This record gives sequence, structure tokens and C-alpha cells, in this order.
Amino acid sequence: MKERKVLTRRVGKYEPLDLKAYEASGGLEGLRRALALNPEEVVEQIKLSGLTGRGGAAFPTGLKWGSAAQEKETPKYFICNADEGELGTFKDKVLLDGDPWAVLEGIVIGAYAIGAQLAYIYVKGEYEETVNLWEKLAAEAQKAKLLGTDVLGSKFSLQLQVVRGRGLYIAGEEFALISSLETRRAMSRLKPPYPSQRGLFGKPTVVNNVETIANVPVILAKGAEEYRKLGTKDDPGTRLFSLSGDVKEAGVYEVELGSGTLRELIDEFGKGTTGGRHIKAVQPGGGTSALLAGDSLDCRLTTEAIRKAGSSIGTAGVIVYEQGKSAVDIVKGLMDFYGFESCGRCAPCRIGVVRMKEIVERLSHGKGRTEDLEQLRRIGKACVVASTCGMGQAFPLPVLSALEVFGGDFEAAIAKVSV
Amino acid sequence: MGEFNMQTYQNLINEHSPVTTENLFVLVGKIQDAFGYMPAKAVHDLAVKTGVAEARIYGALTSYKDFKLRMEDKG
Repeated sequence: MKERKVLTRRVGKYEPLDLKAYEASGGLEGLRRALALNPEEVVEQIKLSGLTGRGGAAFPTGLKWGSAAQEKETPKYFICNADEGELGTFKDKVLLDGDPWAVLEGIVIGAYAIGAQLAYIYVKGEYEETVNLWEKLAAEAQKAKLLGTDVLGSKFSLQLQVVRGRGLYIAGEEFALISSLETRRAMSRLKPPYPSQRGLFGKPTVVNNVETIANVPVILAKGAEEYRKLGTKDDPGTRLFSLSGDVKEAGVYEVELGSGTLRELIDEFGKGTTGGRHIKAVQPGGGTSALLAGDSLDCRLTTEAIRKAGSSIGTAGVIVYEQGKSAVDIVKGLMDFYGFESCGRCAPCRIGVVRMKEIVERLSHGKGRTEDLEQLRRIGKACVVASTCGMGQAFPLPVLSALEVFGGDFEAAIAKVSV
Repeated sequence: MGEFNMQTYQNLINEHSPVTTENLFVLVGKIQDAFGYMPAKAVHDLAVKTGVAEARIYGALTSYKDFKLRMEDKG
């Protein structure tokens, strides 16, 4: 299995603020092509490319753009979601720091395609240096006519606001992010209406992940057909896998979709587990994805194959747990985090996450009760069905999958109870 | 970082002029970064400038981990 550097091909190859070096390595070609086309043709190219969202939900980007472009309401807004908060995911930072111009190019193309005149980039608060870099970058871009009035001599105008997040996980959810930009509490909302219909300040808005946006200039420069040669028929392109947990070499690896299996990714790039033990469990798509047992890792790296294996590709944040840990402790760590971060907007998540956290804590402290497992299942399933946003629908998945795959660990935790 | 200073505040406002709902969140963040907290005077002034209710700004501020309403103890 080999790395296939498409989005990361320029990372570390030029000084982040050096626009000339970026241009010399083929940059801005995508934007020039885009500006020569009608906005509708740009949307069409993205639709043809089969690009799906890289932030976790894998929604087709072309549909999102098309829907926002059709809306008559103005102004429209384009938002780059760089509030990468999912556990085990750190791929966006690589692009934001290593090839920022490509992301900026993608933002300008996206805004042009939907007809937005104001774009935002919402950067995770902890990435302070990245925020500083992007503020300078926006100023440089203004000078180079990539932002401002008449972008590159076209009739299109665009402003970019660099926004620093303020330390909330949920602000990475698209409606919560929108609420945050409206200076409200970061909370999700019921859909529909979708953001592309009524988003920021009630106007049509597109929210895209950094990696999704970084794909855009590549698609425009190469053409959708050429782009589709990467990856598989249903899953075109590459993905940036953030590999972390009990592996020797954690890091971000860009891989063509479908080019290998999850096990190969962990063995060849991660170079085995830190303790040299076998792998117990893996979360292939960030902290909210279901756990896969160590013996079911031979699935290909495509959305469909990982779904069939029983989990999801999500944000492609692969977290590896080696043997020797109890599944109860693994999910306890996750529930601690999500229990803190639930926004409280809807009851299933607000109440469910805390109850599940309490039960898992009880189990891990040897105070489990026989009815606990059934309770976990019931609450978890209720949250999956009834929560408003992706977080509430997904946080129970690691627990539910752990109960299924590592039921023994939970039974053992209950059996340990000292009366 | 430190005490509320009208000059610093005014400079930030000028940099982000005109202050609207569209850049309010950015500006609020800048003020927090400059002073280390959100002075009540600033919240009031921003509410007047943008027409957003003071209560709504406080509602937002108190929900984020990184916003402080009082200066931190220097210890």
C-alpha cells in the first residue's frame, strides 16, 4: 500500500505565505478555470466529480452547492469548517498549515459557484498559530487580488473573515457553527430547512470541511473526469487518514480510496502497535464511529466496505486500541468527552449522554449492575433515533458496538462487583 | 492582556468597521484576546452598535469555554 499524495503534494514544499511559489507549482489553475466558466458549470463539475464531504457525513458536495446556488435569496455565505474537533482527527491542520493557498483557492471557487460575497473560515480555537497564519494569508490574498473586488480581473467579489473558534466541540457541527457565527450559543437546529436553504442569518449557506474544499481546485484543474480516475467508482478521490492511538508512527497519511485495507493502513504506516500486542479494536472514523474488532480489519478503505464491516469512515480518524485494555475503559474515555460536549439542545443527547456516561463509569469502577447492559442499549438506541444532530446520533455507536463485539468485557466488569 | 483600555478597544472597532452582525463574533473574540476577558462596557457598546440584544451576547459568551467575563486572577 502506498501513499498517493494529491491534496498533500505541496505540504511543506513552500513557505506558507509565498503565493509565487504556490503558483509556480501549479496553483491557481483551478481558480482560473473556474472563473472562465459559469457558476452553474462549476457546480456541474463538482457534481460530476462525485466529491463527497470529508467532515464525517459524506454528503455529496455538488448537491449542496447546487441547492444553495439555486436559491434566490441573497446574500449567500460560504463557510470553510476548520473546527476539526472530532477525537483522533487532525488532518485539516496539515492542509491549513502546509498548503493554505489551495484551501483558499477552494474557498474562492466555492463562493463563486454559489454566488457568495462573504466567506468565513472557522478555525479551531486551539490552532492559534493557524489562525494567525490565515489572518496574514487573507491580507496577502487581498493584495494579490484573490480576494476583494474583481477577483483576478473577473466581475466576482469576495471577502473572507477568519474566525477563531472558542473551544467547543459541537461548533464543528454545521448548524452549531452557523449559530456560533451569529454570536449565539453553538447549538444544532432541526433540519430541514438545510443550511443551503436557510443557514447563516437565515440566508443560503454552504458549510464545507477543509479537506473537501482542498479537493475543489484539483477537480477544476484536472477536470471531473480525470479526477474520477482516483479512487473507486463510487468513492472517487483520496482521503487523509489521521492515524493515532496505540501505533508506533501516528500521523496523517493520504491514501487513494479503495487502494488497500484498514489493516494494511495500520500495519504499514503505523508500523505496528506500541506495546507489540495484537490490535483489540479500531475506530476507523473518529471518536463517534463504531468499534471494529481486531479480526475484522480486512475491509477495503471505501465508505461502503467500512460500513459493511460495521462502522463508518466518518472523518477518517483511525484510532487504534491494542490488547490489554478493557472495552469498558475505552468507551469510558469516549463518554467522558461527549458527556462534557453535548450542547443540550435536544433531550435524547443531553440526558442520554450523561446517563450512559454514569453507567459506563459505574461499570469501570466495579459497581456495575446486571440491568446496566440493557440500559446502555436502550438509551443508546433512543439517542441514535431521536437526536437532532450528528453528534447525538453517533456518540452511542462506540458503546453499542462495544456491547456487541466485546460483550465479554462488560460481563466481566459486572461479575467483578464486590458487594 | 489586562485592564480595559478604551484606546485599544477603539482601535479594534476601527479595524473591524463597520461592526455588523456579520463580524460581531470575530470582534468579540478579538476583544477577549486583547484583554483576556470581555469587559461589560464592550458588550454594552457592541449591543448598541449592532442592535443585537445585550442578553444574547452574554448568552453566547457564557456558553463558550474560552470566553471570560472577569479578569483572571494573576495569582
